[in-house]
Amino acid sequence: MNPEDVRTKLAAAGAPGIISIEPFEGVAARVKFDPTAATALFPIVRDALGFPHLSMVGGIDWVERYEVFYLVWSDPAKTYLLLSADLDAKAPHIETASACWPSANWHEREAWELVGIQFDHHPDLRHLLMPDGYQFHPLQRAFKLHEPEDLEVKVRHV
Amino acid sequence: MSEMWINMGPQHPMTHGLWNLRVRIDGERILDVDPEMGYLHRGIEKISEDRHYNEVITLMDRTCYVAGIAWEHLYVQAAEKALGIAPTERSDWIRMMSEEFQRLASHIMWYAAFVQDLGLMSPFLYGMRDRDLILDLFQSYTGGRLTYEYMRVGGVRNDVPEGFTHRAREVLDWLEPRFVEYDRLCMGSDIFRRRCDDLGVLKANDCVRLGVTGPMLRSAGSKRDLRKDRPYSRYSQVEFDVATADSADVTGRYLVRMEEMRQSVRILRQVLDWLDSHPGPVLADHLPRWLGAPYAPIGREAYLLKRNYPKGVGLSAIEEPHGEACAYVVNEGGEHPYRVKFRSPVFANLSAAHHYLVGYHVADIPPIMGSVDVCVGEVDR
Repeated sequence: MNPEDVRTKLAAAGAPGIISIEPFEGVAARVKFDPTAATALFPIVRDALGFPHLSMVGGIDWVERYEVFYLVWSDPAKTYLLLSADLDAKAPHIETASACWPSANWHEREAWELVGIQFDHHPDLRHLLMPDGYQFHPLQRAFKLHEPEDLEVKVRHV
Repeated sequence: MSEMWINMGPQHPMTHGLWNLRVRIDGERILDVDPEMGYLHRGIEKISEDRHYNEVITLMDRTCYVAGIAWEHLYVQAAEKALGIAPTERSDWIRMMSEEFQRLASHIMWYAAFVQDLGLMSPFLYGMRDRDLILDLFQSYTGGRLTYEYMRVGGVRNDVPEGFTHRAREVLDWLEPRFVEYDRLCMGSDIFRRRCDDLGVLKANDCVRLGVTGPMLRSAGSKRDLRKDRPYSRYSQVEFDVATADSADVTGRYLVRMEEMRQSVRILRQVLDWLDSHPGPVLADHLPRWLGAPYAPIGREAYLLKRNYPKGVGLSAIEEPHGEACAYVVNEGGEHPYRVKFRSPVFANLSAAHHYLVGYHVADIPPIMGSVDVCVGEVDR
């Protein structure tokens, strides 16, 4: 599968919000999309393009914007596809992918707490790796190592 | 009976690492589970943003403490793509050999720990005995037994010593009959079968939906193995079969891992033959000193000469002993990676815990979680 195949299939399925489809080493293509079209695009990628397995969700802080990327895998085509969307720097948010790929659940929890991207309508957006009540997003560029943080850990009683 | 939540962990023999499995039970039946992670979170992705490319390799050994060299392999491949560097051919074969030895060591470690979870003590000792031979091999060419710091961007630190392939073949010759003994101890045991059959079932379509990969997915009949499907390193040049099972239960996962060990031995014999007849450099020679000076310590003094590489993004994916592992390295031209993101297979396998635990009994948790092969270091990173 190459970028042209991806373009043809996405167009045939009427995928909304596609900004660009470019080649990327090691994957079929990198598809940049408009985050407001996420809800409609994800099922098309999963069913029409045939990528039922979501490998990971990650976020990048580019200071002037955020990027969220999804790596999906297709068994018949034996290839990855990279989806990526640029998010607003002030309030980065995107619709959750866990309604489409349930495996996104934990990946999004991690991206939320470490990078600070809000996943709308996520079923269970709790802290995963950091303690409850942790107020920082360590993978943001503004979070510097070697600086003491004022951390107050809330203990959860079960 | 009334329902209640209990904590299995963070200090529990079942966890094999620091994590907490919260279980809601009614009597002995499991109604709900909620894995609680983060006890081992060291912020490896964040620390990597503050390290030179080769210094991140040190962190990779700590990512998964039973499969350190596989994670090194994952990372250096992504870093090389981000920097636009190609490894030498011989170093690529040595990396592949290292990964397969690591797979053997990891699976034997899994076997030892898993069978001990079932209450069988002697297989644990046999497993640890045999794994030690592989660690001896690692020590002979990397200097380390658990944390190797062996691979480099552009190759590996040093070639294997003289006589290594001979010793490695001796170890493989010793190991192969041991697998038969392992099988006799487990599959020949009625107690083992009654304990493990039809336990922790997760069908293939659920595995795909939930992101479960590795031996868990293959035990459900799927043939997905990145070494075959998307060959990296030199896997396209060796012959091996993908191990699968149909039962999708704990026994199936046991059978898949056992067969994978046999296939690893098969791959290793081919790799050792290749190494015998193809001498060559093990580190690319056009590297700047801060990346590749031979025998350079990993400390900062090795980076006096700095050169910026053009920007790039590298993505790599390997079939780690636990499943599909991915690395995403962003190079923005500096000496440090701008962002490093890892996909841990156990992270995804654990996130599906609800689907293979609910409905079984509390006493079934150790065998089921044992068959998942949890390595908390790579979940928390």
